[in-house]
Amino acid sequence: MKNALYNTGYFLKEAKNIIRLNWLSNIFSFISTGLILFILAMVVFGWGVSNLLVEMLQDEAEISAYLDGNTDIQQAAGLVETIKGIDGVWDVRLVDQTEAYGRMEEILGEEARVLELFEENPFEAFIEVRIHPDELEPALEKVGSLKGIGHIKENREVLGRIQSITEGLKNLGYLVMAAVGISTMVIISHMIRQGIYNNRVQIDTLRLLGAPGSFIGFPFVLVGLLLTLGGGVLASALIVLLINRGYGYISGLMPFIPLPPVGELVSGIIILIVAVSVVLGILGSLFGLSSTKNT
Amino acid sequence: MIEAKGVSLRYPDGTLALKGIDLEVKPGELVYITGPSGSGKTSLLKVIMAMEYPTSGSLKVLWQPVTKGQTGRINQMRRRIGPVFQEFKLIRGRTVLENVMMGMRFLEVSPRQMKENAGSAIARLGLAHKTHSSVENLSWGEAQRAAIARAVARKPVIILADEPTGNLDHANALNILELLTSFRDKNTAVIITTHATHLIEKQNNATFIRMDGGNITIERRGKANEECLV
Repeated sequence: MKNALYNTGYFLKEAKNIIRLNWLSNIFSFISTGLILFILAMVVFGWGVSNLLVEMLQDEAEISAYLDGNTDIQQAAGLVETIKGIDGVWDVRLVDQTEAYGRMEEILGEEARVLELFEENPFEAFIEVRIHPDELEPALEKVGSLKGIGHIKENREVLGRIQSITEGLKNLGYLVMAAVGISTMVIISHMIRQGIYNNRVQIDTLRLLGAPGSFIGFPFVLVGLLLTLGGGVLASALIVLLINRGYGYISGLMPFIPLPPVGELVSGIIILIVAVSVVLGILGSLFGLSSTKNT
Repeated sequence: MIEAKGVSLRYPDGTLALKGIDLEVKPGELVYITGPSGSGKTSLLKVIMAMEYPTSGSLKVLWQPVTKGQTGRINQMRRRIGPVFQEFKLIRGRTVLENVMMGMRFLEVSPRQMKENAGSAIARLGLAHKTHSSVENLSWGEAQRAAIARAVARKPVIILADEPTGNLDHANALNILELLTSFRDKNTAVIITTHATHLIEKQNNATFIRMDGGNITIERRGKANEECLV
């Protein structure tokens, strides 16, 4: 341990020499590792967004109960009171026509000009009901059976679709994770083997001088670690760029989709990518070293 | 410190390099291994360094048996030997100081001690002015002295030099032999292989191992060398 500390400078210098001896291949390995990790980061990002989206939508399990044609606004107020008494309902509001129009204006933003084409307010008054997700099913049935309620709009279908997308992304994520792991390990172990070949005279000399395997191998582990860590940093930088640009684009294009907070998502992905790159770097180097042990 | 009993070495291609060798080297002994090319000198050094393993017989180096598969023990043993290889095996792209220090980095030596040992070995071998020169810029003789500095800076108990006089003229060869033998003391044995017997025939305080076709004859000369055997 003491020796390892004394030799930190030596190990770093050796790692630099190993990289320098095969400069171009190492640069390409760094770039390809970065791109592979970037693919992983994108899948994790998609996975994370859809997961958070499902969570947010589930938290906001909400139905809109539209009144039938014969129900006036006083009766609607009575219905609100009735719905409040149903199990699982935690908030009920009557949204009149004017508020419904205002909401749509807000959602459409600059595109709200299209609403001016209507001579009359095209939106109906409705009752907005927020329900605990676990009790959505029975509450829905009870609200639907009330006299004066025409039809109900709920987000279960959307939720189901997003959930299936999340499931798909999750499976794709596992596949990408396996592909990233294997390909990164193969790249790194190949680079380590090449490094060992280029430094075979030095390794042979150190062996004859009695250097332990850990002393000889440590600079190679460092090389693997530096290559993948560099790749991880590159992937993180690319994904941060992509998220920052993509968020602005998506929220401009589809303002009604509630996107999760960007900072939280980015820091989570960066931590994951850096951790994965460290683990893969060490494993790849050890794999490379072990495959050349007896040569 | 070295004890060989009936050691034979046969290479995978069938060549018999050593034939049932019996040998004993004690602390402080100066040993010359002589013989023509292909007589088994380098094979004997390889066996002592555990670069090859005896195909029969038993060998102990530093009182430890040399057997295949004992990597940890072999490494321990090698750390107490100062080898000077025929082709020097200096690491290219590194300075003389870095090469000398490389042989000590994994020993239980503090960085200060390591630098001191390296500095004094380099100075003793007359290379102080080349301390920070890259080994590619050294002449043949300087490279050889750098390799010796790396071997002796480790304070080994056995110094093994393989053909250190090869490719040198008479005067320089004598200088190198003198330099190597100067590291011999009561604890440190020096073993040198050479085919230049004319350089050492007047030595009267050493052990001579003559090798021929894998067989050996041993002659011990001088009181001091006999005393170290006691």
